[in-house]
Amino acid sequence: MSKISRRDLLQYIGAGGIGVAGGVLYGEGVQRKVELLIPQVIPPEDYSPGVATWYNTVCNQCSAGCGISVRIREGKAKKIEGNPVHPVSRGRLCARGQAGLNVLYNPDRIRTPLQRADRGSENTAEISWDDALTTIGSRIGRLKIEGNAGRIRLLTGRTRGHLDELFAQFMNLLGSEHYQQYDFTYPSALAAANKTSFGTDVLPYYDIENADFLLSFGADYLGTWLSPVHYSRAYGNLRQGRQGQRGKTVQVEPRMSLSGAAADEWIAARPGTEGLLALGIAHVLVSSGSYTGNDRDEWSSALQAYSPSMVSAETEVSEDTIVRIAEEFGASTASLAIAGGATAAGTNAVASIVAVNALNHLAGNLGKPGGVILNSAQTFPAAAGSSPAGLQGALDLVAAMQAGDVEVLLVHDTNPVFSLPDNVGFRQAMENVPLIIALSSFHDETTVMADFILPTNTYLESWGDDVPDPGVGFPVTSLSQPVVAPLYDTLPVGDIILSLARQIGGELPIHMPWASMEEFIKDRWREEFDERMSEGQDQNFEAFWQAVLEAGVWGQPGAAAGGQPESSSSPTIAAIADPVSKFAGDETDYPFVLHPYLTATFLDGRGANLPWLQELPDPMTSVVYGSWAELNPVTADELGIEEGDVLEIESPAGSIRVPAFIFPAIRPGVVAVPIGQGHTSYGRYASDRGVNPIHIVATLMDKQSGDLAWAATRVKITNTGERLRIVKTDGVTRTLGRQILGPGNDHG
Amino acid sequence: MSTFVEKLRQYSKPGYYDEFDYHWTMTIDLDRCTGCEACVVACQAENNLPIVGEERFAQSREIKWIRIERYWEGEYPNIKMGFIPMLCQHCDDAPCETACPVYATYHNQDGLNTQIYNRCIGTRTCAVYCPYEVRYFNWFTYTWDEPLEQQLNPDVSVREKGVMEKCTFCIQRIRIAKDNAKDDDRRRVRDGEVVPACVQSCPTEAMLFGNSKDPEAKVSKMMKNTRGYTVLKDLNTTPSIVYLKKVHA
Amino acid sequence: MFDHGQPSYAEVNKDILSTMLETGPKYWMLLGMTMSVAGICFFMPWIYQLFVGVGAAGMNHNAVWGSYLSNFIFWIGLSHSGTLLSAVLHITNSPWRKSIYRSAEAMTLFSLMTAALFVMVHVGRVWFVHWSFPIPNEMGLWPNFRSPLMFDVMAITTYLTASSIFIYMGSVPDFAAVRDASTGLRRRLYTIFSFGWRGTAREWHTLGWAYTFFAVFVIPLAVSVHSIVSWDFALSAVPGFHHTIFAPYFVCGAIYSGTAGIVTVMYCLRKFLGFERYIGQVHLDSLGKLLITLSLIWSYINILELFTTWFGGTSYELEALSFRLTGFYAPLYWEMLIFCAFVPLLMLFKKIRLSWNKMLLISVLINIGMLTERFIIVATSQPRKFLPGAFGFYVPSWIEISISVGSFAIFVTLFLIFIKWVPAISIYEVKETLKPLRRNV
Ligand SMILES: Nc1nc2c(c(=O)[nH]1)N[C@H]1C(S)=C(S)[C@@H](COP(=O)(O)OP(=O)(O)OC[C@H]3O[C@@H](n4cnc5c(=O)[nH]c(N)nc54)[C@H](O)[C@@H]3O)O[C@H]1N2
Ligand SMILES: Nc1nc2c(c(=O)[nH]1)N[C@H]1C(S)=C(S)[C@@H](COP(=O)(O)OP(=O)(O)OC[C@H]3O[C@@H](n4cnc5c(=O)[nH]c(N)nc54)[C@H](O)[C@@H]3O)O[C@H]1N2
Ligand code: SF4
Ligand code: SF4
Ligand code: SF4
Ligand code: SF4
Ligand code: SF4
Repeated sequence: MSKISRRDLLQYIGAGGIGVAGGVLYGEGVQRKVELLIPQVIPPEDYSPGVATWYNTVCNQCSAGCGISVRIREGKAKKIEGNPVHPVSRGRLCARGQAGLNVLYNPDRIRTPLQRADRGSENTAEISWDDALTTIGSRIGRLKIEGNAGRIRLLTGRTRGHLDELFAQFMNLLGSEHYQQYDFTYPSALAAANKTSFGTDVLPYYDIENADFLLSFGADYLGTWLSPVHYSRAYGNLRQGRQGQRGKTVQVEPRMSLSGAAADEWIAARPGTEGLLALGIAHVLVSSGSYTGNDRDEWSSALQAYSPSMVSAETEVSEDTIVRIAEEFGASTASLAIAGGATAAGTNAVASIVAVNALNHLAGNLGKPGGVILNSAQTFPAAAGSSPAGLQGALDLVAAMQAGDVEVLLVHDTNPVFSLPDNVGFRQAMENVPLIIALSSFHDETTVMADFILPTNTYLESWGDDVPDPGVGFPVTSLSQPVVAPLYDTLPVGDIILSLARQIGGELPIHMPWASMEEFIKDRWREEFDERMSEGQDQNFEAFWQAVLEAGVWGQPGAAAGGQPESSSSPTIAAIADPVSKFAGDETDYPFVLHPYLTATFLDGRGANLPWLQELPDPMTSVVYGSWAELNPVTADELGIEEGDVLEIESPAGSIRVPAFIFPAIRPGVVAVPIGQGHTSYGRYASDRGVNPIHIVATLMDKQSGDLAWAATRVKITNTGERLRIVKTDGVTRTLGRQILGPGNDHG
Repeated sequence: MSTFVEKLRQYSKPGYYDEFDYHWTMTIDLDRCTGCEACVVACQAENNLPIVGEERFAQSREIKWIRIERYWEGEYPNIKMGFIPMLCQHCDDAPCETACPVYATYHNQDGLNTQIYNRCIGTRTCAVYCPYEVRYFNWFTYTWDEPLEQQLNPDVSVREKGVMEKCTFCIQRIRIAKDNAKDDDRRRVRDGEVVPACVQSCPTEAMLFGNSKDPEAKVSKMMKNTRGYTVLKDLNTTPSIVYLKKVHA
Repeated sequence: MFDHGQPSYAEVNKDILSTMLETGPKYWMLLGMTMSVAGICFFMPWIYQLFVGVGAAGMNHNAVWGSYLSNFIFWIGLSHSGTLLSAVLHITNSPWRKSIYRSAEAMTLFSLMTAALFVMVHVGRVWFVHWSFPIPNEMGLWPNFRSPLMFDVMAITTYLTASSIFIYMGSVPDFAAVRDASTGLRRRLYTIFSFGWRGTAREWHTLGWAYTFFAVFVIPLAVSVHSIVSWDFALSAVPGFHHTIFAPYFVCGAIYSGTAGIVTVMYCLRKFLGFERYIGQVHLDSLGKLLITLSLIWSYINILELFTTWFGGTSYELEALSFRLTGFYAPLYWEMLIFCAFVPLLMLFKKIRLSWNKMLLISVLINIGMLTERFIIVATSQPRKFLPGAFGFYVPSWIEISISVGSFAIFVTLFLIFIKWVPAISIYEVKETLKPLRRNV
């Protein structure tokens, strides 16, 4: 990896625009016509044709915050790899992360500011940055002066670091309290449960790498949960990274995920009872004497009711299995229990996760290698960011919009129209908002409702910083830098906010004096640096900045982490226990449980516009370009359903039509539909393809966290008699006795 | 006579050294592999694999130099899934090589099964002969929707209709590493200096790549693992990819 | 020998030459039709395919070979009876050969050409197909002599060359006859074609000697060509291809389909050129018996193939077998068996063997069966090889079907042109079979 210098970078970027743009913005408002110099005429120092340069920055394709290195040749980004010094990705990357190039060079990017006359239509007119910002600025400014700033709302996706701070400050200065985040994938329930269990809602570090026995309740840690790349690497180590010691994994979930496929044992407990299963295991841990804490008696009485026989009857997992797993869990040196996925998406999500957390306590692995290690909330120098509000926050916003309390809605990097159930009525509520402004790189279902679209730079063209969440057990902050000059007449979102602040005037530009996001971040890092490093440090800031920029990350391995977790006390368990999730729709009318699941390719749908991901066979089914509904072969047989039969899946909240796929590793009585497809407007690769199961999810909620209980909807299935070809790469998925997976019988 | 033997030896082993320096080899540990397909995208990005579109995908005209195959065993609830990444095995006794009438695919002295796009006339015999089905044909000339072509790797040629293509073990990366070694006056590249794109990306570190002629290389040691095996061994293709069998606890 | 009484020498000349020298509107219409079909069904789709790529056909990752190659084998097969049969019969001195061999040899030539066209249609970059010939170049790069495709190139080129020389040599005295019967430009042309043949004893002697030499030379060539074509398949490890029986199987199949082809062509020559006098029931009877023999050998080899596959008992071969017998394409397999193994048994009845119409039907059915056989070999083995995960499927596209249809039109076109340039029946050899002349008849 070649070294880069800050000066080179600026010069290089300057040729295309960011540095220049910053200056012009400051001096002459936002008038900015990109004048692309031909860089070769006076080549910047690090520009030599034929020689690749690598820049470190941060992946923005999910909220794990992996550090990435981007290979640049002749000013173009060619390849994204993991940043080897970054503690989250450790040089590796997932499929989504690598497809970041498809974001940057996506043919459907929004290239200029746009204005839309009629909402929902694809017809837009180009408008200059000047006009757009003046119009919007004056509108917002008037509300502020009128004392109606509370009618201005800012909704973003998961945002961390200084961008979060900038948003908060902007709204604050306007006088609106309504800056909020919505991200379908944000584990609100997990954070709430951890608050209950460990006394902090900062996501802890789950030390899978050093665990001997990993018991996962629904958490697809190899595909979509929290930090897939980091945990995949950890999984590799758990399996084969230690001499003579191979960790074991058990996965509890109704439909086999990637993590279930990797597990030694896959248990399809009755949906909604996963927390109860954890309580049953806890019961055995305590009753068998495996747990030896002083408060053993209290635990014993709190868990009294959850005998293996009772739990077995409810969960439909055999008593033997419950006892055996409990014994193995108790006996292992480093056993670790985690929860996510459907377990964390029932109406009892927090209760279930608390029960799982209790296992970690009972096995005595809190704060130990191979166990749960707390992260401190405080890192240098950016904050971890506000936590997105779950469904409750979205409902509040919808209510406000419906009541006509919202006059201006700014939306950035989130697509609630797609990733909220239809029942929530987000789109309809948006009709009540007089002015909607989208800060976005792509036309999606939410952007298509906006009156103004301010095109943003992609993350590969932007400055930023980030605190990975969950952290890695010690303080880490990553730095993002533009790796190529902006392709189009777009701006970094931070710069747009700063320009708006200048447009609005008043105290805003005084408190937000920075010309650009870059300046803002650097300023803040400098402040923080001066504050922290004042004594005994002779390193000057520029050198520090330079080093962080080159490394792409700053961290303090070995620095004190979040301390010893408070252990969840037995009374909490007793008080919170809510063993079985409730479901929308009753069993007789709606005999199936709908299991929507995040896919490693599209996540909550945001990856669907990337052609590499559309063409990436789904890991478990090999399907590409479309949606499917998974059914157990026996169930399918009984209903006379074959692969490709179009099913109508109807919930109390709506219905979708999707071709059937016979999937051998799903519990009978469950129908699984991947999330991600079903976009109506998200560019050529995503639009009009497949279905979005979130739309028919009933709006049940986990009471304690306010998170959407997306795994708590029942459905009925009818075979429409139509057929649709499922495009997949797999031929026959049995080895036919051929020794493909190794000598001996094929699976060991 | 001795000179004759000398000459013969020289003839049968052309090249710069008495013994060739490299035999590129890969190991894939199926106990680590999770089937995540990061390697599949990595190869697509590195080697300019085309985006073929849904219609052509439906016709099985996709191009994936590395793919993940899935095999189920058992029935619900005692069902297991086995993933296996499948890419060109760089067979030492490669059936594809004897088949090609024009030498567009041949074995080089590094143990690679190379594919010369320029030379290929598109008979597709090699693909029929390859037991691992890792050869992909350009049924069309593929194009990229503007500006996606900007991400194309300048070190790898873009193929035209009518030619066969397949995994090259990222030969461009091997070449760069060799160039660097030469610049540094080293005869051989260091262990770990060549990392193919798929190996580089693999989040679980399931894949390892190196020179098995070097007994100290990690890959040489890994090959000796008792779980090691080659796929379709009975066909005697002598693959350069050693898989490590998944452990079943 | 002659069903309608023996003709005189003069009548022989007149009957045969008139087909060349007198051309009615029907001929032109027919020629125009076949040429249009060839153009529309074969060349237009091909040109389209050249522009878009071989993807215009139905082949895919799982089946990279498709109907183009089955057509290729079919046409190579069809080429087998002409020159081979003619040579064998010449050596064994069978007199009934004489009136049919010329057309049979022409069939060889034209089916070889059609087959070669299919190679062009099949390959991805036909514009570089010359690289498969050992032509010295500045890169010092030779084709790969280990490749069965390379053997193919050699074998087919040699066979085509030898067959061309063989047919030409046998036609020299007849060219002289044409020369003598015509005037003007045609006369000048045939003067060249006939190499100044005068019919001296020495010329006849040299011709006889050279002709026999070539007959002996051509026989192993013909056998080698289809053996080598079979090696394109058999040298791979693909289940369903990897059979040692493939070479004799292909040769037998080739002669079988070629012989059936001769029957079809004979029928047409009789019908359209009025050769009833020269092509009679003797030919039909002999060809019928030959077909029964070939059919039995062919069936035997098929049984053998099934048996060895079953007996070998590997998962790969058994899967290939069961797919062939019961899979998607199984109806085609059973169709092939009926047409090639059972229908020909009808010829055991002499009545059927001597009926032109019934024999035409049987011969056409045999060739439909043989075309199917080639399709089955290519389409059922290849998409289901070793890794079940990569099992796939192949259905020919319209382009392929059209090109297949068009290829028959090409063949017929070439034949139609041929009969206007070369006497379709060997004049001098027919004369040899006439009973000793009585003067003044
Ligand atoms: N600036 C500049 N440009 C030039 C020239 C110049 O002198 N200066 N010269 C021109 C001339 S004369 C030429 S010939 C061209 C050459 O241009 P190119 O043909 O592009 O030549 P290379 O860059 O040497 O090799 C191309 C790629 O082939 C890969 N490669 C090597 N061996 C194999 C193999 O066995 N199989 C496969 N698939 N790939 C392989 C290499 O890693 C490399 O990525 O450049 C022309 N362009
Ligand atoms: N190490 C290494 N060696 C290589 C290659 C490689 O990639 N690496 N590539 C090989 C390849 S592909 C090639 S094509 C060759 C190229 O090898 P050469 O043909 O040697 O190429 P150059 O050195 O580019 O040019 C030769 C000379 O031509 C002169 N010249 C330029 N214009 C004219 C003109 O109009 N008239 C005359 N008379 N002379 C002129 C130039 O000044 C130069 O001295 O190198 C080969 N050798
Ligand atoms: S896990 Fe998330 S952050 Fe990491 S590479 Fe994948 S998408 Fe990017
Ligand atoms: S795997 Fe296939 S393509 Fe690769 S060397 Fe072996 S036979 Fe050839
Ligand atoms: S397709 Fe190309 S590489 Fe393969 S055998 Fe034919 S010419 Fe050779
Ligand atoms: S070694 Fe390189 S070419 Fe081969 S599969 Fe991996 S990334 Fe692709
Ligand atoms: S990237 Fe690694 S873990 Fe993922 S599928 Fe490929 S080999 Fe397996």
